[in-house]
Amino acid sequence: MAGTGLRRPTRPARLISLVPMIDVMLIMLVFFMVTSTYLNLDMIPAVHQQDSPAQAAAPSDAGGTLMIRLGSDGIPVVQGAAVPAGVLSALLAGRLADDPLLQVLVLPSGGATTQALISVMDEAARAGAVRLRVVRLEARP
Amino acid sequence: MKLTRRAPAQHGETIVALIDVVFFLLIFFMLIGRMDATAPFDVIPPVAASGSDMPAGGATLSIAADGALALDGAGVERAVLEAALSERLAGDPALRLRVNAHRDAELRHVLPLVGAAEAMGFRDVVLVVTPAPAP
Repeated sequence: MAGTGLRRPTRPARLISLVPMIDVMLIMLVFFMVTSTYLNLDMIPAVHQQDSPAQAAAPSDAGGTLMIRLGSDGIPVVQGAAVPAGVLSALLAGRLADDPLLQVLVLPSGGATTQALISVMDEAARAGAVRLRVVRLEARP
Repeated sequence: MKLTRRAPAQHGETIVALIDVVFFLLIFFMLIGRMDATAPFDVIPPVAASGSDMPAGGATLSIAADGALALDGAGVERAVLEAALSERLAGDPALRLRVNAHRDAELRHVLPLVGAAEAMGFRDVVLVVTPAPAP
């Protein structure tokens, strides 16, 4: 007996709704935009020890030494004379022209601010100093 | 006979372009954002023109203007700081220590910590600065 051929009509494929995904993405976008803090930061090495002792052993007797004292008021003092900001770089450049291996020692006061020390280090680097050390006095135990 | 123009089929506004833009914005913020723990106090780093780019990673020691300390975003007392640093250094001997000191912090709060870190065995200690604006 021939069948009557009754068939259930096929349902059209249901599309997946994109609305929940858009919601989630918008929430994540707002989260990252609100919680992110964008800082442009640099670094200045304070301690950098070489792995190789040969590299770490720099000739310490080469070149002269220039001591810069940094008072608690943030004004650098070179050989007893206060050096205004901006002049230190020129002074160091002149000394480094005579002695390229000049070792620059910075002895800061404990009351000086971090910005004052960084400014002195900045000026020394701008003048071309390659041997710069920050020294500090420690109380005798 | 009255001829009527067939009304154009109603097309919904396509939202594919919106999804694309939102997705690109999301990827952008996820890529350029660096997840760093922030200190529980305000720290404004000093300004320097001679700094170099700071790579990610390492432990961050934050120092407030009044000398308060925080290690990786959590406040810490000076007495237990060295123990916490030693623990981290034991896990990663090549760990970089980033000293993020407020620009008004007095050096008596900063330099002893740098010296102590060096004595503990940190081989890479850097001071965090803000690049000076271009002239």
